[in-house]
Amino acid sequence: MGFAAGWYALALGDGLEPGTSAGTQLFDKELVVWRDASGASHVWEDRCPHRGMRLSFGFVRGNHIACLYHGWQYDEAGQCRHIPAHPSLEVPETIKVPTYASVEAAGMIWVQSAPEATEPPPADFAAVPVRSLYLDRAPEMVALLLEAGLAGSFESLSSSTFGIALDGADLFLALQPYGAERSALHIARTGGDLSPKDIAVWAEDLRATLEALPAIAPASAARQAGALA
Amino acid sequence: MSLVLHDYELDSDSYKVRLLLSALGIEYSKVAVNVHPGHEQRSPAYLRLNPLGNLPILVDGDTTLRDSGAILCYLARLHDGDGQWLPADSQRFGEVMVWLFFASADLAPATLARLHDMLEVPADRDAAIAASRRAFRIMDDHMTKRELEGFAWFVGDHATLADIAVFPAIALSRDFGVDHDEYPALRRWMRRVRTIPGFITMPGIPDYH
Repeated sequence: MGFAAGWYALALGDGLEPGTSAGTQLFDKELVVWRDASGASHVWEDRCPHRGMRLSFGFVRGNHIACLYHGWQYDEAGQCRHIPAHPSLEVPETIKVPTYASVEAAGMIWVQSAPEATEPPPADFAAVPVRSLYLDRAPEMVALLLEAGLAGSFESLSSSTFGIALDGADLFLALQPYGAERSALHIARTGGDLSPKDIAVWAEDLRATLEALPAIAPASAARQAGALA
Repeated sequence: MSLVLHDYELDSDSYKVRLLLSALGIEYSKVAVNVHPGHEQRSPAYLRLNPLGNLPILVDGDTTLRDSGAILCYLARLHDGDGQWLPADSQRFGEVMVWLFFASADLAPATLARLHDMLEVPADRDAAIAASRRAFRIMDDHMTKRELEGFAWFVGDHATLADIAVFPAIALSRDFGVDHDEYPALRRWMRRVRTIPGFITMPGIPDYH
């Protein structure tokens, strides 16, 4: 099983403060998620066109992001606007960082993995963001194990989102296919009043379970899910 | 009273001591030791100061100390009358100690991985990086829960030696190929560390301004 082109959560929205950036990956491709001074979030290829440095190593200045190496600055559309070594230069429009469509919904920052994806953006609903959980496990296997109910009574809401009821709270989990052998689960509370810290503790147990479970085949996952239904 | 730090600019343990000295606003003199390529820290003269052959070494009058954790505690005891950095309260003191010992034991593989990649120190690189990632995960889990409870620092409600002791290993992790992607709570905390009055940088730890 693979993941279709579509919308994937990359981070919790409130975890990315205005004027900061974070590096991440989706399907092994390096992305920078950053929030400008006005509060808008952006998802770009994490690569300065100048020398290939990761932009997530750099700094947000106002509504521009600046590369750590030589300070080249890019505006909200990815267009280079300032090259410190050539301060009077009118920067050519060809110096541009590839950008991705992104939205904030359900307390998370989502990116459209490919421009040709036709799926609509994720629905927004009230959610209390709790934490992002990073796993040394292939995303396909994480999805299979969750669907098969081997790590708890999860409900599959889509191929990459899951729900679970936990001690009177409703949780929403969005799977980020980080790379071939790594995944992230972004976790928010959508109902109930279990404390975020208690949910974070539960999430550590979930990570331990998901990393320890033996691999399963898709067919057996479906069988086990059927048996549990 | 003359305070002398035997120091190497690229050494993350020496940096912890420089950082605390700067935060405390203490005058001191620095002796640059030729660690690479000279291995001067293992010369007979230096082995008399520290038989372990590593840095930092602090000489304060008749007192000669090795081990960055011990030096941090010594400086805090001597110069931090308010007990900000090394709290007098037993619980806080114990919690700070947990992270000081974590820094010297559980973060040692991170120091080794960095020295392997930067200065060609022999190491089982894969094992050192796996152990580093286990330690960073423990730190991120801790700060995740701390933030959810409304706290900004490793222990208590202000910066302590705990923050200084565990900061360089993660801040320098890109030197050995471990990105900060998987540690969102540490990413936010590392920005806070940079706001400590007297914060100083070192090669590999840029300021954000």
